[in-house]
Formats: sequence, structure tokens, C-alpha cells
Amino acid sequence: MAALSEEVLLVVKKVRQRKQDGTLYLMTERIAWGPEGKDRFTVSHLYADIRCQKISPEGKAKIQLQLVLHTGESTTFHFANESTAMKDRDAAKDLLQQLLPKFKKKANKELEEKNRMLQEDPVLFQLYKDLVVSQVISAEEFWANRLKLSSTDHFSSNNNKQEVGISAAFLADIRPQTDGCNGLRYNLTTDIIESIFRTYPAVKQKYAENVPHNLTEKDFWTRFFQSHYFHRDRINTGLQDLFSECAKQDEKGLKSMVVQGVKNPMVDLLYGNSLHIACPSTSNSSKTVKENSNSAIIKRFNHHSAMVLAAGLRKMDTSSDQASETSSTDGNSRDSDTFQPPIKKVKLQEAIEYEDFQNETGPKTIALKLKKFDRYSHGPVPLQSHHYSTSQDIISSVSCIQEEMSCYKPCLTQVMSSSAASSAITALSPGGALMQTGAHQTVSQLVPVDIQSELKHLYTAAGELLRHFWSCFPVNTPFLEEKVVKMQSNLERFQSTKLHPFQGKIQREYLSSNLISHLEEMIQAAYNKFHAWQMRRMMKKT
Amino acid sequence: MASEDEISLLVIVVDVNPIWWGQQGQRQPEFTLSKCLDAVMVMANSHLVMTRTNKLAIIAIFIIWSFIFFSHFFDSRDEPSLGSSDGKYELLSVANDLIAEEIKNLMARTQVKGHQTDTLLAGSLAKSLCCILKKCLAGQDMKSRILVIKAAEDCALQYMNFMNVIFAAQKQNVLIDACVLDSDSGLLQQACDITGGLYLKIPQKIALAQYLLWVFLPDADQRSQLVLPPPVHVDYRAACFCHRNLIEIGYVCSVCLSIFCNFSPICTTCETAFKIPLPQMIKPKKKKLKAAN
Repeated sequence: MAALSEEVLLVVKKVRQRKQDGTLYLMTERIAWGPEGKDRFTVSHLYADIRCQKISPEGKAKIQLQLVLHTGESTTFHFANESTAMKDRDAAKDLLQQLLPKFKKKANKELEEKNRMLQEDPVLFQLYKDLVVSQVISAEEFWANRLKLSSTDHFSSNNNKQEVGISAAFLADIRPQTDGCNGLRYNLTTDIIESIFRTYPAVKQKYAENVPHNLTEKDFWTRFFQSHYFHRDRINTGLQDLFSECAKQDEKGLKSMVVQGVKNPMVDLLYGNSLHIACPSTSNSSKTVKENSNSAIIKRFNHHSAMVLAAGLRKMDTSSDQASETSSTDGNSRDSDTFQPPIKKVKLQEAIEYEDFQNETGPKTIALKLKKFDRYSHGPVPLQSHHYSTSQDIISSVSCIQEEMSCYKPCLTQVMSSSAASSAITALSPGGALMQTGAHQTVSQLVPVDIQSELKHLYTAAGELLRHFWSCFPVNTPFLEEKVVKMQSNLERFQSTKLHPFQGKIQREYLSSNLISHLEEMIQAAYNKFHAWQMRRMMKKT
Repeated sequence: MASEDEISLLVIVVDVNPIWWGQQGQRQPEFTLSKCLDAVMVMANSHLVMTRTNKLAIIAIFIIWSFIFFSHFFDSRDEPSLGSSDGKYELLSVANDLIAEEIKNLMARTQVKGHQTDTLLAGSLAKSLCCILKKCLAGQDMKSRILVIKAAEDCALQYMNFMNVIFAAQKQNVLIDACVLDSDSGLLQQACDITGGLYLKIPQKIALAQYLLWVFLPDADQRSQLVLPPPVHVDYRAACFCHRNLIEIGYVCSVCLSIFCNFSPICTTCETAFKIPLPQMIKPKKKKLKAAN
């Protein structure tokens, strides 16, 4: 049965699972189901293991709740209580909805991240196999350094998530469908609801006030769509309508926006009185009915656009400036006068100047002044003492050669004697005088490939351990002291479990060269450092 | 096997420094310039004969003072103008005759001017590269390599030009092989290492032909199948600017990148002043005198 320490949050009776009656229990960390009459749970899932939950659609006869786990398998619960099945199911669903997100992110993100890193980098995978699987160091130490990097990236990317904008046509996108019998069906998604709340904060306020105490969500939205607030003709029918206040607020908002004017002088049509727009004279009372409705619609459109823009700007402002919380929702927010001159200047400058066309005012550079150029042109050929030839030598050599060449006739049948040729061939054959240095370069050919790759793995693993070891110095904190001691024991363990068997293997295969001598040197250097540090510590204590 | 369409171009650059060869003729009469040229001709003929189709060989000979180069393309498709006198393949006899004639002319025209005895190695390599490039641009897809037969010593003054030529050759995928007769040449060792060619210093000069045919006749693809002398360890150490010693660890000025073997507070090339921060002196702690009660 459930552990005594577990707090049961919800019990739902008459829940069938796999055609068996039973009871569903929701606890703080897991969800469990036990068959009727039995004491123990047959089905128990931690919230951390559940990936998502699904419910059967509204019209179906069977009221079900399905849990999909991370492993892919799913469990289905059928709420069989005749009277309260829907309520039970919804209650369970809501509770799960609250609990699941808490457990979800913690456990699996890390595992997924680790798996991903291991899969992407085969070197890392090999290192993991060498060090952790063979128990030279523990998995936590292995991941200690690496996961740190990835989690910081994760957080920074989360913070910079961009805000989703509001589509100007979101109300139109709702697209009511006829129900068949003189009714209309509106499909509302959470996105649309969010857009409505962001654009019309008055509606959001009404929602907060009324739901869920007075009205259900469904009722609220039904009223919203029925109200004339939503519809074209905004004739205020009376005070029963929830949204009549909203209509009045909107009117006020619109008027104040008009009064406030446009902030950006670049798009302000009335700036400087250069344009005279015919303002409809409000005193003129002889308006036709058609004009009235047209003006109402145009007013609504303008208001809607202004609200969408304001909602977008509001998000930017609130993120950058906390103090602007005081801005009211209709746009008559800040004191525009104090802001005007700088904005205008900035906008003008932006419009006129292009960065590319500015004069190049790069950093001041200093010219390189070299006194002696010829040093560069003289190569690494050391200045040897030339054979100094006297002019007499030169002249005699030249005349000698000229004499020789004047009677030159190529005699290609007697280029060299056979003895000379055969001695040259001997020198060039393997083992000959000219082929000596070849033997040294074949270590990579002597050692078989699998031993080479194993050696490489050993080097990577040893390098990782030594890196941890050497990064502990200088030892300032008790944490580093512990780590140094731990790394020392890790190195010893590595040497005994990996290096010595490898060496034995090589010797058995009669390979003459000691391939791991360098590794041993490195580890010995680490040991020496450790002993020296230990001595010093003991001397300090005494 | 090389495909029928592949053209392999061999450029042989022979050092005919008359001073060195004249002295060599006096030192060792059995191996003179004539013998050397014979060996080179054997090599050239062998190369032309190796593959029937379109293998070209060009020989460029360089000499100091007069800056005269001799270069000629030998193509099996050319119509031979001269018949051969001894039944030899016409191309070969044409090649040999041409080479001999040109060498004689070259030597006859040489005049002693000044004291310099160095060979223009960098210049001749550059000329070879130009010839190769000209042939490449003519539309034919070619694999080319340069064989340098070097007699005299390196000239330190040609270092920069030489390095530029080497890198240009590397860019063009041209191999530079070197066959050195007398003293080791660091420049050519570097050239061979960088471009992927072979460097060989010959112990016996009289067997030059044998070495050439054994080591330098196969082209780059075939060399991987053969057992050839291993590459030489090249000394890539830099020389310090002050003494021209080859050093492994030194000081480099961060402004002008000149290398010194000792630290000096002012770089002599660009006259920048440097300071090395000395380790901080640990001040002895003053013991507080405890006030007597």
C-alpha cells in the first residue's frame, strides 16, 4: 500500500483500468490505482515518469483519462461512476495538470542532455566507457564539469525567448461556423484568448472579476460574443450587458489617444501645420444614419488597431522599464512633452545618416619602422665561409671548362661502368647505405591498429584524470584538498586497472617498444607532486 | 599505369656553374661536365621513352653572369626536322643533338665578369615554373615535376626568392626533386619537403645515371609503390637575426617579428623598447612589537 508518509491528494472511486474496477489515488509524487477489494496498487507511476495526459473528447460515452509515459507506454483509466464520472475525470485531470509540470522538467532534461552529449561526441562516449563504466571515477564527477556548461546555456536561451506578437486579425480568425440550427459555433484557442486579453485589458479585468465565481469560462465567452461590444453596432443596450462598461472605457481611451497625438514626428501628419486635414465638425448635427454607422465602424477599426499596437509596445516597455506600470491601458500613458525633442532628433538622425557612408575613422595606427630590412631576407642558412676563389682560379676554371665543352660529343653508350652502377644499386636497395633511416619510422607500422586505438583511449582517459588532478593546485580550500586526494586514488586505480593489463598484453605480443612509458612518466609526475604537497601539509601541521 | 591521356612533364634543371665544374674537372677528371650531361641525357631519353603518348621533357640550364637559360620542349608529336643517323628514335636524337649544341654555345659565350661564383638557382626554378605554367595554360592537363641537379653550394642571398618559388610550386602542385652532387643544400631540402619531392645526396658521382634512373625517373604516383630512400630530416630551425645561429628557443619581437637568441631591451630592427616584468619582491613582514604591559 501507499507509504505512510505519502499524502493522498485525491481519491476517485469506481475507476476501471483494463476492465477491472478499482480506485484511483493521486499522491504528492505519484499516481496509483488499486483494484477493488485489494490492498496493494497494481499500477503506480511517478509524476516524473509521465510525459503527458490525454482525455477522451466531450461527446464520447466512455469517459477516460490516459497517461503517456516517457518510455512510450500508456495507461488508460475509465471513470465508470454514472453520476460523477465527468466531474471525477476533470478533477483528476486538473490536479494532474498542476502536478505534472513540477516534476517534469527536473528529472528528464538532465538525462536527455547527457544522452545527447554522449551520442554526439564519440570521444566523450569512449571516455565515459573507460572511466565510469570501469569504475575508475564516479558518474557524478564525470558530469560535474560538463553539465555546468550546458545548463548555463540553457538558462540564457530561456530568458531570451521572444514574445509572441498579436496578429491584427485575431478576432477575424475565430471564424464562427453555423451550428446547423440557427446558432453559431466559435472556436476559441488559448492563443486567441491570450490575444484578446492582451489587446483589451478591460476584457481581461472582467474575466478576472467574473470567472470562476459568477460565470464559467464558457458562459463568459458566450456572453462576450453575444454582446454588442463584440458586434458591429455598438449600441449600448443597457446595463445588463457586462461589456457595456468596456465600451465606455474604449470610447474614453480612443478620445485620449487622439488628444495625445503622435509621438514620432516622422509619421505625424499634423506636424508643423503643413497639412490641413478636414476634421469632421462635431457640431454638425445633420448626419445621416449611414454616416453614423460608418463612422462607428471606422472608429472601432482605429481603436482596435491602436490597441493592438499599444499591446505590442506595452510588452517592450514593461520589460525594459518597471516604472511604467503606471501607464493606463488606453494609451494616455506617459508625459509625452518631456520626451519629444530627443526622440525627434534621434529619428531624424536615423533617417539621414547611413553608417556605411561615414568617414572611416578607424583606430589610429602607427606605421612600422624597420631599420634593417636585409635581416629578413637572409634565411636560416648560416653564414658559412665560402670557398674563396681568387680571380685567377675563376679564370682558369672557366677556360678549362670551355675547352672541354668545345669538343663535347655525347657518348651515351659509355655513361658509366657496370661496377659503378651495381654499387649504386646496392646502396639504394633496402638495407643499403642510403636506406638506413627508414627503419626508425615504422613504429606506427609495427604496432597493430587495435593496440594503437586502445593506446589512444588510454591517453584520453589519463589526460582527463590528470587534468582534474592538476586543476586542484594550488590547494586553497578544503574542497580542493578532498578532490586532490580523491584524484590521487583515481590515478592509482587507473594505473592498476588499465595500464598494467595493457602493458602485460603488449609484452605478451612481443612488441619491443615500451609504448606506455610516457603515460607512466606523466602519472609519476602527478604522484611526485602529490607526495610533495602531502609532506608540506604535514610539516605545516607539526 | 598512367592513363593514355595523362601528360607528365619533367623539367630537368642542371647546374652548369663553370667555375665549379672547371674545378671539378681538375679535382676528379673521371667525372666532368660531359659525363654529367651524358647522364642527364640518358635520363631525359628514358623519360621520353617511358610513355609513348605526349610526355614532354624540358631542360633548363642556368648559369650566372650571363643569365642565359636554355630551354626547349620536346614533344613526341613534333615533326622531327632532322633524320637520325644511327637509327635511333628521332625524338631522342633530336633532343640529344639540341642539348649538346646549346651547351657548347652557352659555354662559348661565357665571359668572366666579376667575382661572384654563385649559381642562380631561384631564378632558374622560377623560369621552369613559368614554362610549366605556359604549357598548362595551353589547355593540357599535366602533372609536372622539376628535377634539380645541383653541383655548387647554396647562395644565402637567394633565400627569399627561393622560398617564394617553392611556395609557388607547392600551389601549382609541382614536385621539386633534388639530386645533389657535392654539398648538402638546406634550401633544396626544404623545397623537397614542402612540395613532396625527393632529396638525394649522391655518394658516387660517376654512378649519377644509375641514381637518376632508379630514384628520379618514376613519377609521383609510381613512387608510392616503390621502395625509395626515405625522406631526409629537414632542419627547420630559424636563425637568429643577430648572429645567424640556428636556434630552437628564442625571443621574438612582437612588433616586427624578428628573432633573437638573447633578450635585449630594445629590438634592433624596429627600435621598440621592451620591459620584462620582474617577479615582485616579497617585502619582509614587519613584526609588530608587542607593547609591554
